[in-house]
Amino acid sequence: MNLRFHWMLPKAGEVSLNGPQTPREASLYRLASTRDGSPAPRPDVAGWTHFGKSAEVAGIDSLLVSFSRYEPDPILVSAALGQTTTKLKFIAAYRSGLMKPTTFVQQINTVSAFMPGRLALNIVAGSSTAEQRGYGDYLAHDERYARAEEFLEVCHSFWRENGDVNFDGKYYRVEQGKLHTPLFAGASQIPEIYISGHSEQAEQLALSKGTCLLRVADTVENLKPAVARVRERGIEVCLRMCVISRPSRAEAIEVAESLLPQDDMGQYERSVAVKNDSQMYREASEAEAKWLSPLLWKGFVRYYGPVWTTLVGSFDDVADALLEYKEIGVTQFIMSGWPELDEVRTFGSEVVPRVRRAETRL
Amino acid sequence: MSLRFHWMLPKGGEVGMKTAQETSRVLTTKSTSKASLPDMEGWLRFSHCAEDAGIESVLMSFSRYEPDTLVIASALGQLTKKLKFIVAYRTGFMQPATFVQQVNTLSGLIDGRVALNIVAGSSTAEQRGYGDFLDHDERYARADEFLEICHAFWRNNGEVIFKGDYFQVESGQLSTPFMAPDRNAPEIYVSGHSMQAERLAQRQGSCWLRLIDTPENLEPLVMRHRQNGIEMCLRLCVICRPTRDEAWSAARALLPDDDTEKQERKILNSSDSQTLKQALAKADEVGWLNENLWAGLVPFYGSSAITLVGTPVELARAFLEYKAVGITQFIISGWPKLEEMVIFGREVIPLVRSAERGAGVRFLKHYEI
Repeated sequence: MNLRFHWMLPKAGEVSLNGPQTPREASLYRLASTRDGSPAPRPDVAGWTHFGKSAEVAGIDSLLVSFSRYEPDPILVSAALGQTTTKLKFIAAYRSGLMKPTTFVQQINTVSAFMPGRLALNIVAGSSTAEQRGYGDYLAHDERYARAEEFLEVCHSFWRENGDVNFDGKYYRVEQGKLHTPLFAGASQIPEIYISGHSEQAEQLALSKGTCLLRVADTVENLKPAVARVRERGIEVCLRMCVISRPSRAEAIEVAESLLPQDDMGQYERSVAVKNDSQMYREASEAEAKWLSPLLWKGFVRYYGPVWTTLVGSFDDVADALLEYKEIGVTQFIMSGWPELDEVRTFGSEVVPRVRRAETRL
Repeated sequence: MSLRFHWMLPKGGEVGMKTAQETSRVLTTKSTSKASLPDMEGWLRFSHCAEDAGIESVLMSFSRYEPDTLVIASALGQLTKKLKFIVAYRTGFMQPATFVQQVNTLSGLIDGRVALNIVAGSSTAEQRGYGDFLDHDERYARADEFLEICHAFWRNNGEVIFKGDYFQVESGQLSTPFMAPDRNAPEIYVSGHSMQAERLAQRQGSCWLRLIDTPENLEPLVMRHRQNGIEMCLRLCVICRPTRDEAWSAARALLPDDDTEKQERKILNSSDSQTLKQALAKADEVGWLNENLWAGLVPFYGSSAITLVGTPVELARAFLEYKAVGITQFIISGWPKLEEMVIFGREVIPLVRSAERGAGVRFLKHYEI
């Protein structure tokens, strides 16, 4: 099976004629997107549609639409962009504690009916305690996972469509639940469900209720045992990473270096990362080494957070690295780059064809 | 101010249905009904006709038998330009912060063309299927807290802090604001006939939405609400034909078979909603509420089927009478779903508008003679 490449939906306002032009401007725009006055919280259908069409051309499978209090709602953004694109899929991120599972299924099924087979989910158990409380959620990290387990259990019961749904758990109770709008998932009966997180609970949740474990990229050696373990249990592994690919490795490294904070820049972002009680963020703030391998760079991670782990290299380098991940069992990737539009076009015209040629030979 | 006319968005498949009987509630709540499926083609056709007819908004109803309203508005709003959406939602199903994030997102996706119809709940059975086990009165207490928090987010001045019986929020922040050319928060229609519904409308809403009744019966209620600064909107159906006889025979043609009647009565009787009980009583006791207002369809099409039946002039006059007692808005439906709206836009709205421009009710009385 061919590798599947997904991309992050850029923040609102990033993709427009007057938007950030250089990698540095784009990365600063991204970093400032949680601050007051950023245009990022305001939906940008025109810019997103422009990006979505470019992603379709580039051979990108889906766009991940992220969830946070700093951004528009991903379910509704997916519903809107599904109308302005034709082929592209959307992976809508959602936190499981913020609505009743019945309501969630009704929304997801409705979106899927507008764009059959084009909606997947990235279920997240929670975020920082402060952000969760702003949504009215007061559970601790481990309990959030227990609740997510029940949440998805109820969702799966609705998707099985096998009579009324009855559930009596610790966090949810449903009596004779019925929803008439079915899921339009294409060939499968449930949507693809990506579970992200680095904790043991996240892996357990992915295994019991998901179709794919989503985690931040690491070296092939470090990932090998975890990937094998998860694949054996029948679910896929998807890596989240950034990519900087240029004609030569030296050019790529130069771009990467240009994105590093100068002086006290990055302090604000770092304080956000440290406050977080997620395992993934804790690991990231402890990371010191810059290069995990000749191509995998963590230079940004201690400032900006774990998802800034970046694959840096020439077109050939990047294609080879992706194929190495394929060998140990990774099947999907969710990428970002700076600026997103330029990087997705480069990736589509230079990297994807190299990967596909190699896949045909294999 | 001119009267504002809204219309019910037909359920999935209804735009193409040939007979009114197919749209009876018994049939649209069957699991095989097309009502559960989004009908983009039909809705688009309907929406464009609504824009042409001078209809301001379409109301999307919420139930377990239909697709999600917030999602429909997000998708349909991409393909329409002017039409607004009144999105019905029940308050117990998500955290208020999540709801505000969704509503604000929707406003940004469709240029602020969104209003809300907040409903505290429905039948006990349906609520439990959503995981809601509160009783009628408690659902209203929760709805009050829910909207209190929503308003705090919409005021957008600092972090939201709230500690109530049903919700708790600590340092709530949402970056995506409500975005509309002329508002910082959506209009909120609160519907329901119980005292609790009326109180909720007064405390947290901008408009009380209720079923139509005669102008005389409504007058004292309207006064009470308008004094407190909120509007009143009536839900009704219309059947408009060139002559009274034609209108009446079109109305009679909508009556369904006995079997459907029995099932619909069962639904109405099992509900704990005041609105449904009152509407059914009206249908059974009186039938005609006045010379144009007919409750005869309620047992078959649900409580919102109290119908104004008449000629264009009779209907225009009726709307102006409601305006005279202080009603400002209407949410209408009719049969066939599309054609009745087109007739209304062509025949009734122009008469209302010309009367509003100066001629008044008396003009219409002369017109008839």
